[in-house]
Amino acid sequence: MAVSQEKITLYNLADLKNTSDDAIPNYLNSLGFKQSHHLTDVRLGLGYTALALAGACFLWDYKLGFENTKYYTAAAVLLYSVLNGLLTVWIMFVEKGVIYTGTSKSGDTVKIATSTKKNVPQYNLTITTTSKSGKSETIAVSRPFTEWFDAAGHFVALPFQTMLATSIPAVGRLDPQRAQAGQDEKMAAYTPEMLAALVQENSSVARATAETSTTGADTGKKTKQRRKA
Amino acid sequence: MFSNVQPRQAAAQLLNFGLILSTAFMMWKGLSVITDSPSPIVVVLSGSMEPAFQRGDLLFLTNRNILQETDVGEIVVYNVKDKDIPIVHRIVRKFGSGAGAKFLTKGDNNVADDTELFPPGKAFLDRTDMIGSVVGYIPFVGYVTIMLSEHPWLKTVMLAIMGLVVVLQRE
Repeated sequence: MAVSQEKITLYNLADLKNTSDDAIPNYLNSLGFKQSHHLTDVRLGLGYTALALAGACFLWDYKLGFENTKYYTAAAVLLYSVLNGLLTVWIMFVEKGVIYTGTSKSGDTVKIATSTKKNVPQYNLTITTTSKSGKSETIAVSRPFTEWFDAAGHFVALPFQTMLATSIPAVGRLDPQRAQAGQDEKMAAYTPEMLAALVQENSSVARATAETSTTGADTGKKTKQRRKA
Repeated sequence: MFSNVQPRQAAAQLLNFGLILSTAFMMWKGLSVITDSPSPIVVVLSGSMEPAFQRGDLLFLTNRNILQETDVGEIVVYNVKDKDIPIVHRIVRKFGSGAGAKFLTKGDNNVADDTELFPPGKAFLDRTDMIGSVVGYIPFVGYVTIMLSEHPWLKTVMLAIMGLVVVLQRE
């Protein structure tokens, strides 16, 4: 099963969250969700407009001096603070941590906001599903990161996708296999396939740990050599 | 880190870095506009105003005459044409008043007044030569900038470190 090549530091909460955040669009888009970038685009638009304004202000100040341009500079400072204020409002009150918005082929719009609390290794998801008829439903899920990161720091896709498929009905309908796998897991009845997958997963973890220990030994040797030299 | 980076994500990271720089710049410009001075904060570079100010002191200026005109006794910062270093000295004489007033300045620690420092053919300062009067100071803090200007490679090192931290860290 899909285990990421990349390793992250398990003690870095931002890394855990970012890796998980990045995996959500990959999975949902593969299920046929059409991702909407509206929130990000507005944020980038506001931000880059402010940046361009500051750049222009820098240029005219540099070329023409302060005295000749101070009224333009005053206007630019005012406009810049307005744009920055709008950006802050957008991030705090409109985006509110939303990292994915997408619409499935059946017309369900799924909006996922994620957050973490400092020093708590829990992934908090707030999922708002709006059906075609406009009925909206919000689900809050909180799961430990240990469910989908192995001991070596690899992201393991299966349990993560299972978590999404079981907690979001709109996703579960599109991926019944994962949704079902989650149900089985709840009843603690492992199918032979699941057991095989788990064994494979464990062995890959073991291999990864073995790898790190060998590289650890390597570096040990290197330092020894360096000390001799 | 840089594998499979989405264009929007890369743009957002670049934006975070850019906004830090531009916000710092715009805050500086905002202060400029409020004080009506092209350089509202300066660092003392010489000891000519000791014991009032030492090398490295950070001075806050205002270039507006809201309550009263610039007068004798005030410490002002002025720029002389063809010299890009602003000079911090005290006004010791004032002739006339209003926009046409002429000023003579002197460093507290200097033996002679500033006539020598003025460009040839000019025996006094106009109000427009000044970029502000000192309204407050923080001792020694500005020494960092003296270090940076005397050892320019430190600037490169600092910028590189700041850039790396912002680009590599997403939160």
